[in-house]
Amino acid sequence: MSQLEIEDVTKIYGAKRDAVAAVRSLDLRIERGDVVALLGSSGCGKTSTLRMIAGFESVTSGTIRVGGRDTGRLPPAGRNIAMAFEGYSLYPPMTVRENIGFALQSARVDAAEIRRRVDDMAAMLEIGNILERYPSSISGGQQQRASLARALIREAGMHLLDEPMGQLEPQLRALLRGRIKHYLKERGCTVILVTHDQTEANALADRIAVMEGGELQQYATPAELRDRPANLFTGTFIGEPPMNVIDAAPVLDGTRVRLVLGEGVSLDYPRDAFGEPVVRVLGEHPRVTLGVRPHAVRVAESGAPARVVVNQWLGDQSHVAAAFAGATLVAVEHDRVSFARGDTIRVAVAAEDLHLFDATSGKALAHGAEVVA
Amino acid sequence: MNDGAAAPGATDAGEGSLESAGRGESEDRETDSVAKLSLHGITRRYGRETVLDQVSLDVPAGGTLVLFGPSGAGKTVLLRVVAGVVEADAGEVLIDGRDQHGIEPEKRGIGMAFQNFALFPHLSAFENIATPLHSRRGEGATRAERRDTRTESVERVARLLKIDHVLRQSPGALSNGQKQRTSLARALVAEPELLLLDDPLRNVDAKLRFEMRLELPRLLADQGTTVVYVTQDYKEAMALGDRIAVLVAGRVEQIGSPEDIYLRPATKRIATLFGDPPINLLDVDPECDADGPYVTLSGRRYPLDPALAVAVGRQCTLGVRPEALRFGDASEPGAIPVTVEAETPLNEKVVDLVTTVRGREILVSRPAHLSGPASGEAHLVVPMERALLFERASGERIRPRGGSPGSPDTDAGGAR
Repeated sequence: MSQLEIEDVTKIYGAKRDAVAAVRSLDLRIERGDVVALLGSSGCGKTSTLRMIAGFESVTSGTIRVGGRDTGRLPPAGRNIAMAFEGYSLYPPMTVRENIGFALQSARVDAAEIRRRVDDMAAMLEIGNILERYPSSISGGQQQRASLARALIREAGMHLLDEPMGQLEPQLRALLRGRIKHYLKERGCTVILVTHDQTEANALADRIAVMEGGELQQYATPAELRDRPANLFTGTFIGEPPMNVIDAAPVLDGTRVRLVLGEGVSLDYPRDAFGEPVVRVLGEHPRVTLGVRPHAVRVAESGAPARVVVNQWLGDQSHVAAAFAGATLVAVEHDRVSFARGDTIRVAVAAEDLHLFDATSGKALAHGAEVVA
Repeated sequence: MNDGAAAPGATDAGEGSLESAGRGESEDRETDSVAKLSLHGITRRYGRETVLDQVSLDVPAGGTLVLFGPSGAGKTVLLRVVAGVVEADAGEVLIDGRDQHGIEPEKRGIGMAFQNFALFPHLSAFENIATPLHSRRGEGATRAERRDTRTESVERVARLLKIDHVLRQSPGALSNGQKQRTSLARALVAEPELLLLDDPLRNVDAKLRFEMRLELPRLLADQGTTVVYVTQDYKEAMALGDRIAVLVAGRVEQIGSPEDIYLRPATKRIATLFGDPPINLLDVDPECDADGPYVTLSGRRYPLDPALAVAVGRQCTLGVRPEALRFGDASEPGAIPVTVEAETPLNEKVVDLVTTVRGREILVSRPAHLSGPASGEAHLVVPMERALLFERASGERIRPRGGSPGSPDTDAGGAR
């Protein structure tokens, strides 16, 4: 039994001609102990989904089951869910300490125990120095962490977190992400977090549900999203720098596969680099869209020529953009490289690093030698 | 790492004089040629608060200077002083060597773009871009000729910024990215010799910000414009600046090339502001024995660069960037035992949070394609040659005396 089952859920706001479908036919299963991120830009349906799970919004059609129980008539308080929501604010007349410990107090946990657990939680989220203050006298970022602390300290069936780290200063982000992930995993918490920030989703989540236009685009682990994007949207949405995208016309002969790009440039491979199933798919498509992750672009001794447009060193990696086949190709190097604007470099992409998408629908056709079923 | 590499306009690593944290910087450089923009001792107070404190810097013609700092550091006020919209209480602004005191903003030959775009809502994109051209009457030209030149200029810059297809639309109908490009086009259209950009990519999404970050240097180089660029994003600062001035609480804390700032930060704070994940800071107390100066981490002796002997007996903080650390074997010299608490993927990297036996937290990053331990016990190798040493109380970096090859400092005798 899954901890959460969302079956064919649709959410429509407004009526008749003004009706807007915020979520369409969503299916999602979340297992106990999983951390799942709902990821998408504003208006993608992620927050509506979270609010339906919490019980703040009704479901237009479909079913949501928590721990096997249909939530249709279950009020928010009956769902055993801990929440950190924007607008689900701290109680102003209580100190930060009282806010964080409130649920434990209601559960009649021993006062000394509450004190210890609040102190631990506050230390983890770096708010130990503001525990005796009132919400109105702390910054927005601190309020957000206090609200997160109040949710995380609870032992609940599920934790729902809405943009939990949106306001965190960059210097704290990496550390807190690590600590929070460790905390969630150690306790086996089941978590759904909503975010528009892919780095946050990738850092914390076991699985990510990518949403766009109210529809689920893909539900997979961060590694799968990187290596096997289901469509061009997911492929280019996930990844920083974004995936390179180039149109190509496949030309096949007995031994070779040639992908003809713009300006007379082509990528040339032996047939067995792809394998016959992928070659067959290429044969059925006069045009495809190629996707190449920036880290998979190899700057090599031989290969197709590209002209360096810019080389930006960011301290721990270099981003090199080059004019290539009428498009711009971005390569990431983890070492510092010395290319200057105007230099000609040679680039190669291994067959296994090529993502092939349908030129019209954007649906993934193949990843390397693997045909998408 | 390839030391011969160059970020745009990176200065020679040997140029130690740049490190003097903004103090005396203008004497060290550009003495033989007049800078496009020079600021001398700019001070500005609002009530009792000093928002700009003795800011001095030079920007050579055609160069890009990034003003970087946390919010409230004074970056925007400084930009406004240069533009002439805000007057300084003390100090002078020189453009091409001429004091700008009393010169109206529109007479300074400056183009500006802002983070909130500041477009006129009732004008089309075309008319918005054309606004700086109205005040410049071509002498002797007929009205029709002026109009043609105007149209030509707007269309040229619009093509450059890929907004030529939306010129007839009003700002309300444009996407954020198009608004931002329109605002940039307006700043560029009159071909100003000095361009002030106030965090222009702040309000556009991550993908577009990345695209623009790649495009902007070429655009600016093609125009030959001198640029002052304000940002809070360290990656933007590193990518776009020939030099970066780090502004903290109204003062220039360091000015130098991206390489200076990242590899030889003047202070602990600057080291922390650049890099994601941020630099690890570990308190250490350097000691000395017969083999030379050293620090102790998890009970292990780590030899210090002999040139850092000045640090012995002082309370210090060791700074090690996450990408400089690596996992290794227990048998490797200097390997310390750690526990991997969590692994968090970050873009093309993987970041591990580890704790030492004493419970100190350390972030370690590696390229995503390299494998490493995701949890449990491991050993960490700390490369002292890539570590930085700061005085704990003041936060100032302790610079090697005499220098030594392989250390981040290649400048000789640079201690202040």
